[in-house]
Amino acid sequence: MIYGTGKKKVKIMVSAIACVLAAQTFTGCGKESSVTGGGETIVLHILENDTAKSEGYLEELLNAFNEAYKDKGIQAVDANMDEYTDLAANGPYGYGPDVLYQANDKLMTYAEDKHILSLAIEDFECYEYVPEEAWDAFKIVLDGETYYCGVPVNIQEPMLFYRADMMPENWEEEWDDDGNGVADFFENWNDLYAYSSYLRENDTSSNKDSRYGFMASLNNLYLSSQFIFSYGGYVFGQNDDGTLDSTDVGFSAGNTAYGMNALKQMAALMNEGCIDDTITLNRYEKVASGAYFCAVSTPDTYGLFVEKLALKYEEEGLSASDAQAKAEENLCMIEMPALMPADGDLSTDSADMGEDDWVNTIVMGGVNGYGISSYTEHREACIEFVDFATSYEMIKLRADTLGIAPTRSDVAQEQGGLTDMIFNSLSEGRIYLMPSIKAVDQIWVPMQTIMSDIAKDAFRERNGETVKYPDLNSLQSALETADKNVYDAIYTLSD
Amino acid sequence: MDKKSLRKSSFPVKASALIMGSGQLMYKQWVKGLLYLLVFAATVVYMILMGAEDIVGFFTLGTEEADPWLGTSGDDSVIMLLRGLLAFFIIIAFFAVHFSNIRDILEIDKKVRAGKPVPGFVKSVSIFMDRKFYIVALILPVAGVLVFNILPIVFMILIAFTNYGGDTVPPKLVDWIGFGNFVKILSLSDIKSTFFKILAWNILWAVLSTFINYFGGLFLALLLNKKCVKGKAFWRAFPILAYAVPGFITMLAFKFMFSYGGPINYYITSAGGSAVGFLDIDAGIKAKLIGLFVNAWISIPTSMLLATGILSNMNTDLYEAASIDGASKWKQFIKITLPFVIFSTTPVLITSFIGNFNNFGIFYFLRGGLYMDGYFLASDTDLLINWLYNLSIDNNYYGIGAAVSLIIFIITSIFSLTVYVRSSAYRREDTFR
Repeated sequence: MIYGTGKKKVKIMVSAIACVLAAQTFTGCGKESSVTGGGETIVLHILENDTAKSEGYLEELLNAFNEAYKDKGIQAVDANMDEYTDLAANGPYGYGPDVLYQANDKLMTYAEDKHILSLAIEDFECYEYVPEEAWDAFKIVLDGETYYCGVPVNIQEPMLFYRADMMPENWEEEWDDDGNGVADFFENWNDLYAYSSYLRENDTSSNKDSRYGFMASLNNLYLSSQFIFSYGGYVFGQNDDGTLDSTDVGFSAGNTAYGMNALKQMAALMNEGCIDDTITLNRYEKVASGAYFCAVSTPDTYGLFVEKLALKYEEEGLSASDAQAKAEENLCMIEMPALMPADGDLSTDSADMGEDDWVNTIVMGGVNGYGISSYTEHREACIEFVDFATSYEMIKLRADTLGIAPTRSDVAQEQGGLTDMIFNSLSEGRIYLMPSIKAVDQIWVPMQTIMSDIAKDAFRERNGETVKYPDLNSLQSALETADKNVYDAIYTLSD
Repeated sequence: MDKKSLRKSSFPVKASALIMGSGQLMYKQWVKGLLYLLVFAATVVYMILMGAEDIVGFFTLGTEEADPWLGTSGDDSVIMLLRGLLAFFIIIAFFAVHFSNIRDILEIDKKVRAGKPVPGFVKSVSIFMDRKFYIVALILPVAGVLVFNILPIVFMILIAFTNYGGDTVPPKLVDWIGFGNFVKILSLSDIKSTFFKILAWNILWAVLSTFINYFGGLFLALLLNKKCVKGKAFWRAFPILAYAVPGFITMLAFKFMFSYGGPINYYITSAGGSAVGFLDIDAGIKAKLIGLFVNAWISIPTSMLLATGILSNMNTDLYEAASIDGASKWKQFIKITLPFVIFSTTPVLITSFIGNFNNFGIFYFLRGGLYMDGYFLASDTDLLINWLYNLSIDNNYYGIGAAVSLIIFIITSIFSLTVYVRSSAYRREDTFR
C-alpha cells in the first residue's frame, strides 16, 4: 500500500508542516505595538461648529494655539467632521474628535455614558469668571458624585430681530408710555400683541398678507418656549439632591395653560405659516422686505438677516458695501419682551395692568462649551487646549468674530450692551437652560405636535371649523397628554 | 459516513477524519493535503485564540462593563454578538470543508483499493471544474451574499432578541431577553394599537400605491403607443424628466408646494380662500392622498418605461385576429394586453409592492416630526418603516426596531412568495416563450 511504503517519513512531514503552520499563525496574530514615543508631535483633532469655521475663528484659534504650544510638541487641527458627529458611536472604536464644542444638551448626552471626560473645573483659568449657572449646564451626578464634563463658552437664547426703520414714526409718543426710550412692545407682550394687531388691521393689501407684527414658528419649542417656562412649566423636575428627575415631566405644571392661551392668541395675528416651519424658513427675507415687523431667531443667524437686508438694499440701487453697512446699522437684535401677562391674556391693555399682573419672560436657552472625548490618547494636551480656547483673549476674539454672548463675565462686561444683558439674563434665571440629560431628546417631537395643534386652533376658529381647545381646561388636558407622551417616549420601552 | 464504515475504513481515512488533509498527504496528495491541513490548522488556531472565547461571548454578551473615564476597556456586547456570529459561520464553513475532505479521502481510498491511479492536484482541479463548474462559478457570489447579506440579516434578527437600545447601549452591557421585544409589541397597549393601526394603513398604502403606479405607467405607455399620438419622444421625455430628478428632491419640493408658505396656498389665499393644511396635524386623508400622488409622480415613469418595452414585443397579429373576431378594444386590452404585461412583470410587481410597503421617504420627507394622539412615537401617515426609524434611530430602541423589522420581513416574505408561487409567471413559465 502507498501509505505503508514511506509511512514514517510521511508522518514526520505532516507533523512538521502542521507545527510550522500553527507557529506561523500564532506569530501573525500578535498585537501591533504602539508607535508613540518621545519627540513626536501630539496632534489634537478639534471639532468646532460650522459658523466658527466659516467665519474664520477656528483657523485663528488653531494658529494661536499651535504658535503658543509649538515648543511643547502639541498641535491642534480641525477634526473635519460633521459638527453633530456621534461620539458615542465612533469614539469607542478610535474615531471622532479629541475636543468637541457643542451645546450643553448635546454634549451632556455623552456624559451619562462617560463618552466625555469629567474635568477638574477649578484648574481652568476661566473658572472664577464663569457664573455657576453656566457650569451647572455641564454638571452630572453619577453614583451620588457630582462631575463637570464641559467648559462653558457662550450662551444661546432666542432673540427678536427687527428693522429699526420699520418702527412706527410716532413710537415715542404712542408706544412708550413709561417714557424710558424703549418701545413698550419690546418690553411687554401685551403691547407687542397690540402693535401686531394694529399692523394686521392696517394691512391694506388685497389678500391681507403683507403686514405682520411678531412672527415665529409657534410649533418650535425652542423659539416659542416663553409660552411655557414663563408660566411655571418645566422640562424635568428635580430630585432632592438637585439632579434632574426625568420621570417628572412638567410642561403642564404651574399655569402653562395660560401660556398656551397666549400662544393661541398670538397665532391668530399670524398666518398659518406659524404652524409649520414656514416662518423659520422665510423670516430673513420677510423681515428684510418689511412684511414681518419682528421675528424670532438665534443670535448666530444675525448674519443671515443682515445678508438678506443688504441684498434688498442692493436691489434698490446701493453698492454692495453701502448696502452691507446700511443693513448692519438698520438690523437690530434684542432680547424678547421681559414681561408676559400673568393670566395669559395678551389682549388686556397694558395701561390697565399692575405690577402683579405680569410674570417675567423666561426663554429656553443653552450653553455651548468644550468637552474632551474619553477616548483621546492625549488627555493632558486636550485640557491645555480647552484652557487656551477659554482664555480671555480667545473668548474675546470669539465674541468679536462671531457675535456670541460669552459666559466669561470679564469679556461680557467689556463687550457691554446686548452681550451683557444675555449674561445677566442667565444669572438672573430668565433663561431656562436645556436639561443636560439624554432624556431631553424625547421632548421635541411631542411638544412640537401639541404646540402646532394649539396654534392651529386659531385658524380652525377663523375658518369656522370645530375648535379643539376652547378653554383653559382643554389646554391643560392637552399639556398633560404631551407630558404623558414624553414620559412614554422615555420609559415605555426602556424597562 | 456512518460509524461502522469509518471503523472499517483505512488508516488515512481515519486520519483525515481526525486531522483534515493528513490522509491525502499519506496518499501523497501533497497540494490538496496541505490545503486541507492549512484550513484545519487555521481553524484550530482561530478557535484557540479567538473562536472559543467569541462563542462564549455570544452567549454572555459580556461580563465586564467598560469605564471610559478610568480607561478600562470592558466588553462591547454588540461587537461580541457580531464576533460570536462570525465564529458560528466559521465553524459551519469548517464542517463544510471537513465534509468535502472526507468525501475526497474516501474517493482516493476507493481508487487506491481498486488499484486505479489517483489524479494529481491539477488534474483533480481540472475534473472538478469540469464536472462541478456551477460550484466554482457560484462560490464567490455565495460568499459575498453570506458576508454582505446573510450575516447582517442574522445579526439584525439576533438584535431583536436583546435589550439593545434605550439606556442599554455600549459601554453598558446588552442582554438576551428572548421574545421580550415581541411581547412588548403585542402586549403593551400603546404599542400594540399603534402597530396594528400602522400595519393596516401600510397594507392599504402598499396595495393602492402599487396599483396606481402600475396601471398609471401602463396607461401612459399605452397612450403614448397609440399611432394617433404625435411627437411621442417629446411626450415620453416628461415622465423621464420626473424620474431623473432625485426622489428626495422631488419630495422636498412637493412638501414646500403643499406647505402653508408654498405656492398652492399662495394662490388659494390670493384668490380669497383660506390656507389649507395639506400636510399639517389635521390633514389626515389629505396627507395620505398627497403621499399617493407624490409616490405616483416618482414611480409611474419607471412603470411606463417597463410597459413600453414589453408592449414593443407584443405580437400585433393577435390584435388583428381579435378585431376580426369582433373583440372590442376593452376586450382586447383585458384578454390580450393585460395578461401578457402582467405575466412579464409579475416579479417586478412583487418588488414594487415590497418597495412601496417599505417606502420610507414619502412620509418622512412630506410629514416627518409629528407624533399623533393614539399613536406611540408615530403619526397617522407613518408606515411601519417610518415607525421603525422613529423607534430605532430617533429613540435608540434598536431591539424593538429589529423586532418590528423582523415582522416586516416575515409579512413581505410571505406575501411575495405566495403571490409569486401562485402567479402564472411561475406556474406557466413557458406560456409566452
